[in-house]
Amino acid sequence: MPLLSVEKLIKNYDGVCALNRVSLRVDGGTIKGLIGPNGAGKSTLFHVITGMERPNSGKIYFKGKDITLLEPYEISRLGVGRTFQTLQVWGNMTVVENILTGMHKRLKGGFFSSGFWLPWIKRNEEEALKEAKETLEFLGLLGRWSWPAFQLSFGEQKMLEMGRALAMKPELLLLDEPAAGLTPAEVKKLAEKICKIKQFGTTVFIVEHHSSMVMEIADEVAVLHNGKLIAEGPPDVVSKNSQVIEAYLRGKESDA
Amino acid sequence: MVEEDSTKLRKRDLLFTGALWLLSLILPDPHLPYRRELIKKRDLFYLGGVLLLPIVWPSSHVHHLMVLAGIYAILALGLSLFLGYAGQISLGHAAFFGIGAYTTAILTTRYGIPPLAAFWASAGVAAIFAYLIGRPILKLKGYFLALATLGFVEIFLVIVRETPDLTGGVIGIFGVPWFSLGGFQFDTYFKQYYLVWGILIGLILFSKNLVRSKMGRALLALATSEDAASSVGINVVQMKVGIFVVGAAFAGFAGSLFACVMSTANPEAFSLGFSVLIVMMVILGGMGNLYGPIAGAIFLTWLIDILGRFQEYSLSIYGLILVLLLIFFPDGIGTRLNIRLIYLISYWGRKKRRETKEI
Repeated sequence: MPLLSVEKLIKNYDGVCALNRVSLRVDGGTIKGLIGPNGAGKSTLFHVITGMERPNSGKIYFKGKDITLLEPYEISRLGVGRTFQTLQVWGNMTVVENILTGMHKRLKGGFFSSGFWLPWIKRNEEEALKEAKETLEFLGLLGRWSWPAFQLSFGEQKMLEMGRALAMKPELLLLDEPAAGLTPAEVKKLAEKICKIKQFGTTVFIVEHHSSMVMEIADEVAVLHNGKLIAEGPPDVVSKNSQVIEAYLRGKESDA
Repeated sequence: MVEEDSTKLRKRDLLFTGALWLLSLILPDPHLPYRRELIKKRDLFYLGGVLLLPIVWPSSHVHHLMVLAGIYAILALGLSLFLGYAGQISLGHAAFFGIGAYTTAILTTRYGIPPLAAFWASAGVAAIFAYLIGRPILKLKGYFLALATLGFVEIFLVIVRETPDLTGGVIGIFGVPWFSLGGFQFDTYFKQYYLVWGILIGLILFSKNLVRSKMGRALLALATSEDAASSVGINVVQMKVGIFVVGAAFAGFAGSLFACVMSTANPEAFSLGFSVLIVMMVILGGMGNLYGPIAGAIFLTWLIDILGRFQEYSLSIYGLILVLLLIFFPDGIGTRLNIRLIYLISYWGRKKRRETKEI
């Protein structure tokens, strides 16, 4: 059984068909890439999977459970972590607080127990801080743990956003254009981290506009073009697919 | 010559550093710390100030003003959790203040329930109303939320005026007994000062714990980005309703104290203008800071009292001062004052250094 499977998803925006009968599956323990030119509907697919947008029709299953009509927070509680294409780091908090907030659901406590700072809240908080620092060490941000998040560089903020999603201990991690705007050195570092995340047992699903990084690290790649899935398979097979080459070439012509 | 110069500089630098250190002890922290400690050194300064004030300044007018300021500070503290931390606007906080005051007034005068029990009941009733109101309207955002909350102050006032059997109508309820604890009556402003500020300190500690816990982080998170907050499993609507209820319970406490101190509850005190005043306290004092709203409450209570002497000019002076403050301290007196002062001092330091170098 695949970890995530999307079946015949349709999403229209005022007559523009963003997703046209998209069906794909992500198997557990793999890295799946989703590539496609601008406006292909990649981010829309992510929004629909995480419940931020409602599909017009179609079904989404996570671990065999229908999650199509669940609220975003319910979906993330099931074990789906995500990052955003437009950076959504909480600049009003410190770096470590960003990570701690990612652990929100795994920490105990409500308004009253937190307000009275009952013993288990204190214990919980200390353990969480330790774990958050481990996460930061993995991301290479430990030296910045007490910085306000808005003072980090763009690349570091992207890393922090990924760390926040990781702090949830998700089974499936959706990365929306993680390499966009990064320097080549940072992209290389990011690719290493993603491979390590896979080794920890988290399945990764990456949307990327620039396909080179995805082609290197992904086990399987899907290509979306004008809301339609035009190819799916191992990277070396997909990269030779004539339709894919044409779609990308056309995309480049229209860019110029 | 050169050596002499450098020693002079060092002395001056020491002076400036010392001044900065002193300031940093007393004023709230402008930086964004990882919120971990409950009590810092400067909290003890504040505590000492609060405890000593009525003894050092034995004027019953001052005590009365500070009692009012303390009650407003409780109110503003509750609102600042909702407005400053969760980033949601509510213009209806006066309604919960009123509900608290009326609950205490009705329970003590009609049913003879002791004020301490009525005090807790007031917070409970305010919280229940907040839950019932918050559940449907907190799905609204921004201006729509502001308008919806504005509506229920008016509804509350209409209900109070139209049910004279229960609330005494336009006249209100008189003869609310003093607050008493095990036979000890808080019957002077001096005693009430310690009662109100003691409760305020308790609520500050509660809020501080809340802010440094996972709940506080979730509030800050949803204030910045609701999408990101729900992407880590925070139930945004539930969170907003929760903090709205906590804020309303604070308002209930404040209302109960107000009824006991004034020994009356009447609709005059809970108008829409009062709601706006509380929001002003939070905004003027500083939003992302628990001491901000308290500073704002004290400042505005004193300002209104002092301006009362100018009679017909008072409102225009009041408006002018508010506008000037919002221009020069856009993120609150508490937050901005120290940044300004530190900037000024380091500016003097740099200027002196530059002058001596040029010579």
